[in-house]
Amino acid sequence: MQRFVARSGLLEGGRRRAQSLLRSQQQQKQTRYFAQAAREKEIANDVLPKMPPFNYTPAPYTGPSVDEILAKRRQFLSPSMFYLYKKPVNIVEGRMQYLFDEGGRRYLDGFGGIATVNCGHCHPDVVDAIVSQVKRIQHPTILYLNHAVADFAEALASKMPGNLKVAFFTNSGTEANELAMMMARLYTGCQDMISVRNSYHGNAAGTMGATGQRSWKFSVVQSGIHHVLNPDPYRGPFGSDGEKYAKDVQDIVDFATTGHVAGFISEAIQGVGGIVEAAPGYLPAVYKNVRKAGGLCIADEVQSGFARTGNMWGFEAHGVVPDIVTMAKGIGNGMPLGAVVTTPEIAEVLTRRSYFNTFGGNPVSTAAGLAVLKVIDKDNLRENASTVGAYMKDRLTALKEKYEIIGDVRGRGLMIGVELVSDRQKKTPANAETLHVLDQMKEMGVLIGKGGFYGNVFRITPPLCFTKEDADFLVDVMDYNMSKL
Amino acid sequence: MAFRRQIIRATLQNAQRNSFAQLARAGGRCLSTASPSLSAATADAPPQLPPFDHRPKPYKGPSAEEVLQKRKTYLGPSLFYYYQKPLNIVEGKMQYLFDENGKRYLDAFAGIVTVSAGHCHPEILKDIVEQSELLQHATTIYLHHAIADFAEGLAEKMPGNLKVVYFVNSGSEANELAMMMARLYTGNLEMISLRNGYHGGSSNTIGLTALNTWKYPIPQGEIHHVMNPDPYRGIFGSDAAGYAKDVEDHIAYGTSGRVAGFIAETIQGVGGAVELAPGYLKTVYDTVRKAGGVCIADEVQTGFGRTGSHYWGFETQGVIPDIVTMAKGIGNGLPLGAVVTTPEIASVMSQKIQFNTFGGNPVCSAGGLAVLRVLDKEKRQQHCAQVGTHLIGRLRDLKEKYEIIGDVRGRGLMVGVELVTDRKEKTPAKAETAVLFEQLRELGILVGKGGLHGNVFRIKPPMCFSKDDADFLVDALDYSMSKL
Repeated sequence: MQRFVARSGLLEGGRRRAQSLLRSQQQQKQTRYFAQAAREKEIANDVLPKMPPFNYTPAPYTGPSVDEILAKRRQFLSPSMFYLYKKPVNIVEGRMQYLFDEGGRRYLDGFGGIATVNCGHCHPDVVDAIVSQVKRIQHPTILYLNHAVADFAEALASKMPGNLKVAFFTNSGTEANELAMMMARLYTGCQDMISVRNSYHGNAAGTMGATGQRSWKFSVVQSGIHHVLNPDPYRGPFGSDGEKYAKDVQDIVDFATTGHVAGFISEAIQGVGGIVEAAPGYLPAVYKNVRKAGGLCIADEVQSGFARTGNMWGFEAHGVVPDIVTMAKGIGNGMPLGAVVTTPEIAEVLTRRSYFNTFGGNPVSTAAGLAVLKVIDKDNLRENASTVGAYMKDRLTALKEKYEIIGDVRGRGLMIGVELVSDRQKKTPANAETLHVLDQMKEMGVLIGKGGFYGNVFRITPPLCFTKEDADFLVDVMDYNMSKL
Repeated sequence: MAFRRQIIRATLQNAQRNSFAQLARAGGRCLSTASPSLSAATADAPPQLPPFDHRPKPYKGPSAEEVLQKRKTYLGPSLFYYYQKPLNIVEGKMQYLFDENGKRYLDAFAGIVTVSAGHCHPEILKDIVEQSELLQHATTIYLHHAIADFAEGLAEKMPGNLKVVYFVNSGSEANELAMMMARLYTGNLEMISLRNGYHGGSSNTIGLTALNTWKYPIPQGEIHHVMNPDPYRGIFGSDAAGYAKDVEDHIAYGTSGRVAGFIAETIQGVGGAVELAPGYLKTVYDTVRKAGGVCIADEVQTGFGRTGSHYWGFETQGVIPDIVTMAKGIGNGLPLGAVVTTPEIASVMSQKIQFNTFGGNPVCSAGGLAVLRVLDKEKRQQHCAQVGTHLIGRLRDLKEKYEIIGDVRGRGLMVGVELVTDRKEKTPAKAETAVLFEQLRELGILVGKGGLHGNVFRIKPPMCFSKDDADFLVDALDYSMSKL
């Protein structure tokens, strides 16, 4: 996720610090001011980047205003609930890769509801499936039969390699990862789990333990987890040499556990952690070590799954086949749905007692899931993510040549990260600038996300129907706003 | 689980063989009953479903066999189902369900106490469909009115200073969050829960859950499971004092003297509709608070007026909790859960980032708000009180008639009927429960089963369940029991 600027007393200091930092940095740029001013005047006289056309008129909005909503949020919702931007956006409607605010203004959604809306907001095929199912039967539970969950499980299995063909349905990524971790512990009889620093896996007890970033870890007991070196090609000590990082896993196994572990869990590309893709060679080496220690390999595909990276699954690009795969977010284009897919042998452990998820596998969510799989094929989303993603990454890499502040451009398909640093050698996080540009881009109609441990990474994870023109608009707007820094 | 099914299947076959022999003997006994409606039902003709003006759509999908086969292949061996010949439910309307052949069933279990307003309730559907076509999901990083309005709606239903709402996607998630809040707020570790309670299937909530069937052998932290204030099976009967003392003892002898919190369902659901002995929570809440702990009310099954006498289960015990968790009925089937607490307790959560991607999404929030509105508009709480009283009354009459009914309990439309082979020993009548369970299905009634020994019928229908439905259910139970 992103480091946020919350309207909470505890973090007001941080916001003020960020603002004063920005001011001093602006002062440093005084010398370039006049040259820049001239250029800006030029740009202002030029035509600003234009959002690609879209033949759609949102419905008129007659609901509560921003102020009313903010007041209710403050009164009735969690005090730690934050929002992006100095002036938060009131999103009332969505269509494919665009969102609309209360005034009917259109925005390019470069964040996808946090890598969740893969097919596109209110994609007609998915909405159709949801609406026709909800009108027939919404919730009988799996105590009775219903074809929706069975059909979806079958379709999901057909997208999996190896012997991964038994599915368990939950309602979120957290629930999926919790179940996966429990299954690994039961299957192996060991308690030690290994996860990666800078990862995010969920907010319940077990998954909070696996999560490897302090901003998300409350001070509660989180036992049995070992966090290993992050195979981060940009910030890691071994650059892109995956095997060197893998040695840390072997060390943990040898020195911090009994020599046998329950398993290893990781995201192929860390989402909340700032779009950090595991260094090449890492996963194959780690999977080997973990399996030697009797452990299971869990691939957290909550953000990288469902065509986002150009392949169906993030782990495919690393040449491995996990033992358990967890998914959520994109699985239902926004429906609260999660899943765990594993082999029949591993699935068997749950027969030792009863595991039951009341909402899991309900007809509406699974009908949506099945529709999503069909849309991914029908709309060619894998290819689109791959092509448009590569194009956008190239353009952003070119932008990196232009602006010192861009430290790294990375990612795969339509899961792209842009890390801002104020010093390319030291890689000092340019936190304030990130916030500022994020805000400015929103003013110009582009919504993207923020992430990374330091909150200095742009996360670009749009709906996979994102076009080349959308990519151009996004990059042009980023270019424009960086030029004004 | 598979092993248990084998045992039940064997005893079922035995019981069925015996039942025919007993039929002749039972015949004479059944006719000499007090109420005329009972004797009408136990004549040769089984009771009939109340009329219902709705035609299900013709079903063209996969058959029950095909679905079962796919489930076995792709959904794993641990996914169990009801009935020897599982039911293929393809459509629902209010308190009725329809199978692949268009046969109608009275849904007396509501998708496990979840479909509160009724299957495919038109008003709720309208809001869900409208919102799905507008915006399904953006997350709370942007504003949207639905989550704010729904939070306000929920807070309005709460007593005391319970007015900060967290939205999640299930009861397990809600209880996980509640546990974490309790531990953070108090700075203590120990949690206390009731034996026979069910609170979830995730790592921490499995610890709170206290029924061995649902507990996997994983580390579950500092949890103390205290004596269940069970009026029927508990050693102190309905006298809360004895049970409450057990909580004191656990704290005094089993903890540092300071605890994080206490959690309980007012009427245990999975545990077999066991209502806590009167006065229990008042005393225990006091004890727990003196030990620095917070009190969590798990309203996943009892909330939203189901108990008839009150909107929330905890109100029946005259207490105000510090944290309330809910799910199931909150969305009439939408994957939705919530935690409501006080601003003080909520403030500890602002130390770090607490975020739930799907929680509070526009569709679920719109649906949830519609549920609140519909339940009020249709006066469902009152209705639960009326129909529930009638249902429990008739079931108690039935208890006079059949030795096998050990206990009839519950409140409103949250009712349990416990079957025993010996009223003194209270030996669970597992096999008979299984037989009757199947029989009821044949007659068109779907009930639930619960209790550690699986010998309790759980009757928790959608709250639009009518008096006629109640009569039909009791008549059918009467009819089936007469054939045992």
